[in-house]
Amino acid sequence: LILVSARKDGHLAGRNRLRLVTFGFILFFMSISAQLGYLTLWQGPPERATVEYSERLPRPDIVDRNGVVLATDVPVFSLYADPRKILDIDEAVELLTATVSGFDVKGLRQKLMQPNRAFVWLKREVSPAEREAIHNLGIPGIGFRVETKRVYPMGRLASHVLGYVDLDSKGIAGIEKFLDDQGALYTASLAEDNTRAMPAVLSIDIRVQHALADELARGITKFHAKAGGAIVLDVKSGEVLGLVSMPDFNPNQENKNFTFDQANRMTSGVFELGSVIKAATFAMALDYGAADLTSRFDARAPLVIGRAVIHDFQPTRRILTLPEVFINSSNIGTARMALGVDVEKHKEFLRRVGLMDRLVTELPENAKPLLPQRWGRLVQATVAFGHGFAVQPLQGAQVVASLLNGGNMIPVTFMKRDRADAKAMAHRVVKAETSEKLRYLFRLNGLEGSARKANANAPGYRIGGKTGTAEKVVNGRYDKSKNLTSFVGAFPMDDPQYVVMVMLDEPQATPETYGFSTSGWNAVPTAGNVIARIAPLLGIEPVLTDEERKTLAKQAEKEGKT
Amino acid sequence: MLRAFNACLVLAVLAAAYVLYSLEHSIRGVERQIARSNSAIVNEKEMIGLLGAEWSSLVRPERLQRLAEQHLKLRRISPDQFVKVNELATRIPDEPPVKLEEDGKDAIGDILKAME
Repeated sequence: LILVSARKDGHLAGRNRLRLVTFGFILFFMSISAQLGYLTLWQGPPERATVEYSERLPRPDIVDRNGVVLATDVPVFSLYADPRKILDIDEAVELLTATVSGFDVKGLRQKLMQPNRAFVWLKREVSPAEREAIHNLGIPGIGFRVETKRVYPMGRLASHVLGYVDLDSKGIAGIEKFLDDQGALYTASLAEDNTRAMPAVLSIDIRVQHALADELARGITKFHAKAGGAIVLDVKSGEVLGLVSMPDFNPNQENKNFTFDQANRMTSGVFELGSVIKAATFAMALDYGAADLTSRFDARAPLVIGRAVIHDFQPTRRILTLPEVFINSSNIGTARMALGVDVEKHKEFLRRVGLMDRLVTELPENAKPLLPQRWGRLVQATVAFGHGFAVQPLQGAQVVASLLNGGNMIPVTFMKRDRADAKAMAHRVVKAETSEKLRYLFRLNGLEGSARKANANAPGYRIGGKTGTAEKVVNGRYDKSKNLTSFVGAFPMDDPQYVVMVMLDEPQATPETYGFSTSGWNAVPTAGNVIARIAPLLGIEPVLTDEERKTLAKQAEKEGKT
Repeated sequence: MLRAFNACLVLAVLAAAYVLYSLEHSIRGVERQIARSNSAIVNEKEMIGLLGAEWSSLVRPERLQRLAEQHLKLRRISPDQFVKVNELATRIPDEPPVKLEEDGKDAIGDILKAME
């Protein structure tokens, strides 16, 4: 009985166990299907793995304002070998030298005979055709690595703005360095498919840039100048449409040991801009009400201050009205005008128009102005006509733009900017009437004064400008034979749109200039040539006077005959 | 009864397995297709970049100017060549300055031939 009952119990126990196991299995499968359902139905798409880079970071392209590529990354293939995996060195060497030119047999063999090394470069930057050929050889242990190379398709053009990168694709100068500092590289690395990021759009117009570079180079050759520079600035937005500094450089070249002379002299150098600064002095006197267009200044005799004497370059020896002082670029008159303003107010004005501080733009190369230490009456008088006061040429262009555009200082930029955005960041530096008067003075100088030749070379574009001829400082003294001539002007003068600045370093007198080497004979005609070329590009409509029309017709006739 | 039920289940399992397998197979195909397309997109983008760089170096203003000076008889635009639309009617010459389709002549073709 015990046995039976035990058997019965055993039977019962077995059943229970079976139930338990079944239950366990059901639970197990249910949990699996629940998990499965959860994973497939409720879980979103898997998170994207972090982008990893084996080689260099991609850099954003740089394009001009119209989208022309100025700098881009191109993939290049480099050939490497793993000597451990090469079975037949002789065969490999033979095949490689037969397919690709430029291999040194001995060197190649030596590279491959290093059985303990896992990686040797055989050739950097293999062309696509060579890559295909090598690939088809099917040699084991040989492969390609993709590297990116920074190229500047425009070559020398705009090289000072663009700057360049080092071997590791790091920005060293110009906008390239600016992009690195801004973290655009980082942005590029987060770009969707890690190949291309949004390009950086510059304010530069490559057509304007070329016209500027071409005409400046012509000017430098024609007048045997040592160097030169030029700027085109949009008066209403502060955008730099073109910036040239000669001698320039080619950012594509392998060896980047550029000389000091190749630096960007328009921002990284400071110069005594001479008479260009006079424009600021006039604006100051007019804005403070210390002078008006009918004021008269005694320029009969040199101005004596203490032991110093201020002369005029071309003495007029009479009493000049304010416009006459401007046209004749009289140092004496301008000095007297400045002395009518309090020193502190003079300094305050220069600070207001940004001439006392370092101009900081996107370009990392910027120089601090060289200012006088102590401001006495003499310093005030000399600063008025730009002596002992050196600033970046770009700074000079910015000031003139703000004086002519209605009196609003708009910080210059090398990145594309909306006119509306520019309006928002503008701040008033002189009254609108002062700007109006300066326009009149600039136009007058373009019609009758030293900037005449600009209008002669670019009839119809209503150029107004101010010229400057500064003696260069050689060994701490002003050297009369070495000039730095400059022109800064705007067009069309009835509603200035663009400021053009041209600077020539040590231009020489030629027979054509009748022995003169002042600005009016070299920088001004060069600027005229620039404007004649860029004005149609920029959509400025020429308005010709009857006289200009006749001259043009005569010229056309002459050219038609030859 | 139970046997018929089991047979049904076996058939259902077989059918489900077939469906599942074919689904997986087609998904693998689609995945391969996606990978191929992605790498093709990367290649195309790289190619676009490369062609863009090449185009940019071909339209270098300095190069265009050199070519234009060499091969074209064009002069720089003069300010008196700009005419307002309402003055246009008075400026139309009686004879067209360049006769492009004169007696089967091909003016542009001639320029191209001269270039070769």
